Amino acid sequence: MTALLEARGIEKDFRGIRALTAVDIAVGEGERVGLIGPNGAGKTTLFNCISGVLKPNDGVVLFGGNDIGSLAVNRRALLGIGRTFQRLELFNDSTVREHLLIAERVRLGTGSLWKDLIGLGRPTNDEIRVCDDMLEMLGLLEIRNEPIEALSLGQGRLVEVGRALMTRPRMLLLDEPSSGLDRAETAALARTLREVQERQRFAILLVEHDVELVADFTERCYVLDFGEVVASGPTAGVLADPIVRRAYLGDMDLT
Amino acid sequence: MLIAASVGEDVFRAVLQGTPPGAVFALIALGFVLTYKTSGVFNLAFGAQAYVSAAMYFKAKVEWEWPTFWAFFISVVVLAPLIGLVLERVVFRHLRTASAIAKLVVAIGLTVAIPALFELIAGFEAVAGQTPEGILPDGARVFYDPFGVYPWSRNELAQMLVAITAMLLLGAMFRFTSVGLSMRAVVESPRLAELAGVNSNRISSLAWVVSSLFAGLAGVLIAPRFNTLSASDFFNIMVVAIAAAAIGKLVSLPWAVVGGFALGITISLFTTFLPRWSDSASWLRPFQENLTPALPFVVLFGIMVLWPSIRRSSESSDPLSGVDPPPPALASAVRSPRLTLATRVVGVALLGFLAYLVFATADVSWMFLVIQAVIMSTIFLSITVITGFAGQISLCQATFAAIGGFAVFQLADRWDIPVLLGALIGAAIAAVVGALLALPVLRLGGVWFAIATLAFAFFFDAVMIKFSWVGGGDTSLLQGTRVERPTMLGVDFNSDKSFLVLVIVVFIIVSLLVIRVREGTVGRTLQALRGSEAAAESIGVSPVSARVTAFALSASIAGLGGALLSIQQQNVNYAGNFSPFAGLFWTVLVVTLSARTIGGAVMAGISFGLFERAVLRNVFHLSGKWRFVLFGLAASQYARHPEGILEYGKRRSFGRLDALIDRMDPRSNTSEPGPPADPESTAASVEETADAPGANTEGTP
Repeated sequence: MTALLEARGIEKDFRGIRALTAVDIAVGEGERVGLIGPNGAGKTTLFNCISGVLKPNDGVVLFGGNDIGSLAVNRRALLGIGRTFQRLELFNDSTVREHLLIAERVRLGTGSLWKDLIGLGRPTNDEIRVCDDMLEMLGLLEIRNEPIEALSLGQGRLVEVGRALMTRPRMLLLDEPSSGLDRAETAALARTLREVQERQRFAILLVEHDVELVADFTERCYVLDFGEVVASGPTAGVLADPIVRRAYLGDMDLT
Repeated sequence: MLIAASVGEDVFRAVLQGTPPGAVFALIALGFVLTYKTSGVFNLAFGAQAYVSAAMYFKAKVEWEWPTFWAFFISVVVLAPLIGLVLERVVFRHLRTASAIAKLVVAIGLTVAIPALFELIAGFEAVAGQTPEGILPDGARVFYDPFGVYPWSRNELAQMLVAITAMLLLGAMFRFTSVGLSMRAVVESPRLAELAGVNSNRISSLAWVVSSLFAGLAGVLIAPRFNTLSASDFFNIMVVAIAAAAIGKLVSLPWAVVGGFALGITISLFTTFLPRWSDSASWLRPFQENLTPALPFVVLFGIMVLWPSIRRSSESSDPLSGVDPPPPALASAVRSPRLTLATRVVGVALLGFLAYLVFATADVSWMFLVIQAVIMSTIFLSITVITGFAGQISLCQATFAAIGGFAVFQLADRWDIPVLLGALIGAAIAAVVGALLALPVLRLGGVWFAIATLAFAFFFDAVMIKFSWVGGGDTSLLQGTRVERPTMLGVDFNSDKSFLVLVIVVFIIVSLLVIRVREGTVGRTLQALRGSEAAAESIGVSPVSARVTAFALSASIAGLGGALLSIQQQNVNYAGNFSPFAGLFWTVLVVTLSARTIGGAVMAGISFGLFERAVLRNVFHLSGKWRFVLFGLAASQYARHPEGILEYGKRRSFGRLDALIDRMDPRSNTSEPGPPADPESTAASVEETADAPGANTEGTP
């Protein structure tokens, strides 16, 4: 089986400082994969190379078998790579539902200035229904007309997830979804995510600091340390690996 | 050999001729970079400050007949640094954490306000033909020719020597004094300098004092080159200095100096050689006349477009900049439905009453102002689109309006195309120009977009209007750019009343379209981009195509409005209506009042012409210049209220009205938690979402 996402030999330098060295990772269709590692291991850099925010110095990124290395972020999004953000990136002045509506409209690709001008630019009933279905699945239907400024962090995360899912991604990149959330909120988020994922069967690449969430949520995982993959395989086995424990415990010894 | 020798001599002569103005450009560019790096302010107002010093010098010297030394002393040594100090202390120090674009808007406001304020306070009025004097006696009449190639006038010598001395003194200060060393450190890296314990407030004040002194000095030195003192000439020089600074990527002091000299010398090389070459090749002739004045703008535009790394190398240095909370939701989004109904009823009644007043009682001059206000409101909707929806500051809206005006004139003049059809074609042409301009420029974003549009406005001003197929060329200099009022469906729009109805209808149609765009795909896409570009891209939005669309739409609205204005005045009247400086005022006016609502555009349209007549002159008996001062200074509120003071006031009063209605309405007394704009509930939600970038900290009175 060919992998949905395959990154091969990714290298990235920041002004001579090596952030990633020959990183290979692969994510299959519908798979839940974790990417963990201590602070500064290069998780976010790799994440950005995949989503297109950064261009790697070397290596290829294949998505569905095609090289997407030269595509901009928005082109990759249209191909089916959705993402959330570690620090919330929401649209000010918009309600919860509006976040999903714009994503749906962009996915459909039916909007244009001319349609707006002749008065066909407003959300259609179909679009509203699709968005409300998603909101219901995420448990956000109650607050669909709330301005985004009034939401809690956990709700904001879910709005980001919903917005990303409206693009019908084949793969969802989650950037530290637990950051800023407490245990209970994290668990609730994980539960919702798993429910939605089981229904829609998209792949997930979870970049996470929180080992517990990774252990609970992913099937397979990669461990990055100093820009290199130091371990990979089924999550339970990887987390039991002494090298991995040392990478984390070493961190903890220092504190 | 003989030819080669004479070419060499000509080059040498051009270099000698270009050095004095180059030194002055370098002086302003140096000050510009200094303030930009120490306080992150893109201070366009240095041009205005240079003008004030030049005007003060002129006033003291010529009107008060002070000796040269004292005139120089008061205008350059006292006034110039004082203005800088006041600007830093009163305005920009409080904007340290504001976004770069907010600082730019404030600086643009000051550019508009400072010259008018000085003219009002000092009672200064530039008189045509009174050529400013230099700082040496008989500056324009005594020449020195050290190389036997080009005779420098005393004025030119003064420009060169004083500017170079000032720059050497700055260099010496950097090298030999501890405060200079600190300042250099701040210029290199403000963050590191601050970590090293440098008091950046003090350094920033000093940088403002020094750079304002340089601007004032430059103003007094360069003034003799102009026939008459006018603020717009000095603004022009400012843009040249920005081009010089751009050669040093806006961060390098030495390269800014090199850039200043290089521009001065290149301009004089062009003036020397282009006429000669154009004798042998006639196609060069239009360039001969036009390329030289346009050179700085072409350089500035070219550098920004072809050298995009300029943006990264100098991104605002303050780590805290841009962390201000985003603007709050529109007043209309938070008020209650009852209040919406109430304000609509009151609004319609008021408009009806006004319409009755105008149609029944207005005389010709009032009618003119009312029609102008409606047309300007239409034009200002273009700013609603580009700034309110797309979040970009464009400084060339007047240029798009001019394109519309010239299109009507040309189409009617050459092919007898009816003016109203011509207006639509003009809008389409403006849209195409806007899209073509946007493609290279929009990638720049933020402050760079504003500066690139400014460069375009000046380019159009210096080059395009001289072409016979744009501005009419020599014929229109002789005959004017006459535009007829239309006759349509048996209605003769030569009557002001019918024309007023026409422009009101156009305004209503355009505002309905603008509202549709806001609620449609384009508006929502732009709203998403404004909220978070990264997130918008992550769902597949292409920032470039969305913004190109917005810019083209905005340009077409401006073009349509410009066409209507030309039809109203039956003349394109470029200098009076559409100069780059006029465009600057438009942007200040709309952004200050409210760039985000149709109401903001209407208020700005009313303020543009009617405010001067109805309020300033009739009520307060003040000069019309006060509007530049009022709105220019009010722009400094932009940093705190980017939604505009009109929106801010509306939201506050809506909040109070809502509370009042709630208190009077017995049903809502107990159950409802309070109006949405209630400060306390907003403050509570801030605490909950303190980590969210959308945290709304407005509403605390």
